[in-house]
Amino acid sequence: MIRLNDLKISYRIGGRTIDAVDGVTLTIPDNCVVGIAGESGSGKSTLMKAIYGDIQSPMYLSRGSIEYGLKGTDGKAVTAENVRKEWFKTISYIPQSSMNSLNPVIRIREQFVDFPGTDSNKKRVLERARAYIGKLGLPPEAMDSYPHQLSGGMRQRMMIALATFFQPELIIADEPTTALDVVVQKDILMLLMELQEEMGNTILVVSHDMGVHYQVTQKMLIMYAGRVVEYGDTDSVFADPQHAYTKMLIDSLPTIGDDSMRGVMASEAGGGGDRAFRVEPNLIEVKPGHFVAQPARQREGVLA
Amino acid sequence: MGVLAYVAKRFGLYLAVLFIGLTITFMLPRFMPINPVDGYIGQIQSRANGTLTPEAIAEMRVNLEVLYGLKGDIFTQYLSYLKRVVIDFDFGPSFTYYPTEVSTMIVTALPWTLGLLLTATVIAWLLGNMVGLVAGYFHKHKAASILEFVGILLYPIPYYILAVSVLLILAYIFPIFPLSPTFPVGEMTWAKVGMIIYNSLLPAITLVLAGFGWNILSMKALAVATTEEPYVTYARLKGASNWTRMTRYVFRNALLPQVTALALSLGMIFNGALLTEIIFSYPGIGLIMRTAATGGDYNVLYGAITLSILAVATAGLVIDLIYPLLDPRIRTK
Repeated sequence: MIRLNDLKISYRIGGRTIDAVDGVTLTIPDNCVVGIAGESGSGKSTLMKAIYGDIQSPMYLSRGSIEYGLKGTDGKAVTAENVRKEWFKTISYIPQSSMNSLNPVIRIREQFVDFPGTDSNKKRVLERARAYIGKLGLPPEAMDSYPHQLSGGMRQRMMIALATFFQPELIIADEPTTALDVVVQKDILMLLMELQEEMGNTILVVSHDMGVHYQVTQKMLIMYAGRVVEYGDTDSVFADPQHAYTKMLIDSLPTIGDDSMRGVMASEAGGGGDRAFRVEPNLIEVKPGHFVAQPARQREGVLA
Repeated sequence: MGVLAYVAKRFGLYLAVLFIGLTITFMLPRFMPINPVDGYIGQIQSRANGTLTPEAIAEMRVNLEVLYGLKGDIFTQYLSYLKRVVIDFDFGPSFTYYPTEVSTMIVTALPWTLGLLLTATVIAWLLGNMVGLVAGYFHKHKAASILEFVGILLYPIPYYILAVSVLLILAYIFPIFPLSPTFPVGEMTWAKVGMIIYNSLLPAITLVLAGFGWNILSMKALAVATTEEPYVTYARLKGASNWTRMTRYVFRNALLPQVTALALSLGMIFNGALLTEIIFSYPGIGLIMRTAATGGDYNVLYGAITLSILAVATAGLVIDLIYPLLDPRIRTK
C-alpha cells in the first residue's frame, strides 16, 4: 500500500518556484493496476517521479510525505530516503521512449547486468533472463543483439522484461505504449497485465489514452492542474464520472482536433486552466472507493 | 554484408583515393608556367657565366628530363610516374641535397616526425577526452567548469605563441630543457633513447597542450548532449552507478565522433610537423618540407605531398575499419 500525504512538489527555476503537484492525498492499494490520466502539465509525470523517488534539483518536495508500505530486499521498510537503493529491486520503471532507452552501442544482455539488481552473479542473471524473455515472447537470441536490431514492439517487451525480471512490488509505467502502433500496443498491455496477475504487484500506468485505462486498470486517478480531481474504481469512474473534467475526458475519447483545453501550465497548480475544472485539494468519497474533489472556491481578488 | 566484403569495399575506396590524389599531385605542377629543368639549367648557366655550348645544354636537358621523369609525352610521363611512386617509392634525387634520394631523406626523417607527433597527438586526445568526459558528465557541478576552463584557456592560443612561450619559460627562464636540442646519430642505445626523449619533451609538451584544449571542449560538448539521452536517464533509473553511466553509456556513445577527429588529426600530422619542427629545430619531415619549399626542391615536395596523401587516406581507412567495432549500427548495415 502506498500512501501519499498532502504531497506538494515544486520546481525551483531561476529563482521562481513552480508548484507542479499540490495537496495530493490518496492511498494506492496493493495488487492493483492504477491508471493516471490528465493532460500534459497536469503534474502526473512529476507525481510519478516523486513516487519513484527520483526527486532531484530543480524538483523538490515542498510539503507532505510518501509512505511506501513495502519491504526492501534487505528486509527493511522502504522509505523516501532509501527508495533509490530499491530501484529495479522492489520498485521499477518502464520508460516512455522505449525506442531510445537502451544504449545503442552495447549488447542488450550487458544492459541486464550493469546495475545492482537483486542478484550479483551476472552469469546466473543472464541464464535466467534468457529463459525469462522467452516467456515474454522474445527469442533468447534477442539478449545477444543490439537495440537497433529489434523492432519497436520487441524493444518495449525488453523494457518490460527488464522492469519485471527482479519481481518488483511496484512498477511505474510512463506511457508504456505511446510509441507503438495499435496492434503492438494491445499485445504489450496484455503482457503487462498477465505479468501483474502472476506477480500480484502494483502497477501505475500513466497514459493519455482513456481506451488503455478502460481496458487494463482497476483504479483511475484523474489529474488536472496539479491536483487530483477524481480517484476511484475504473468501472465506477467510467460509468458515473463525477467531475466535469473526467466527463470531458471520457466524452472526448473519439473526438479529434479539439484542443480547447490545451495550455494549462503546471505553474498554476490549483489555479490554472479552465476555471470550471479547478478544484480544492481534499477529496470527498461519493461512493465506496470513488473520490472526487470539490470545485475551487472563488479566491479573493481574482476576477471571475 | 559480410566482414570481408566490407573490408574489401573500404580498401578499394582507399586505393581509389590514393590514385586520385597521386594523379592530382602529378598534374598540378605541370599546369605551372615554370619548367623546373629550365630553371635548373638557367642556374647552372649563370654560374658558368654563359660559357655552356648549346650542345652541352641540350645534353644536360635530356639527362635532367630522364632523371626527373619529364621525358616523353604527358601520358608516358604519367605511367612512369605511377610506376616510380607506387612500385619503387622513388621520387628521384633531391635538388638541394643532390644526389641524396628523396625516399632516403623521407625514410630518415619519418620516424622522428611520427615518434613525436603521433605520441603527442594520441596523448593529447586521451587526456583531453578524459578531462572533457568528466567535465561534461558532471556539467551541473561547479567544480567541473574548472576543467572546462582549462580547455577554454588553452584552445584559442595560436600554436606558435604557445610553443614560443613554453620554449621561453622552460628553456630560457627556467633552463630545464635545452633551447636547441641535440640528437645523437648512429646505433641506438638506451642512453641515446633517454637523450632523445629528454630532447623531444619540450616540443611534445607544446603539442599536447595545443591539442588538449580542443579535445576537452569537443568531448565536453558531446558528453553534455549524451547525458541528456533517454538511455542515460534510463540507466540512472535502473540504479546503474555513476561510473557505469559515465564510461559505458556516455563515453561509449560520445566517443564515436572523437575517434573520427583523432583519425583525421593523425592524417594531418605533417601539417603540424612544419611549425613544431621549425621552432624546435627538430629533424623531421616538416623541416625537410620547409627547406624544399624555400629552395624550390620539387622532388622533395612531391615526396612530402605524396606522403601526406598516403597519411590522410590511411587515416580514413583506419576509421572505416575501426568504426564498426565501436558502433554496431554500422556493422549490420
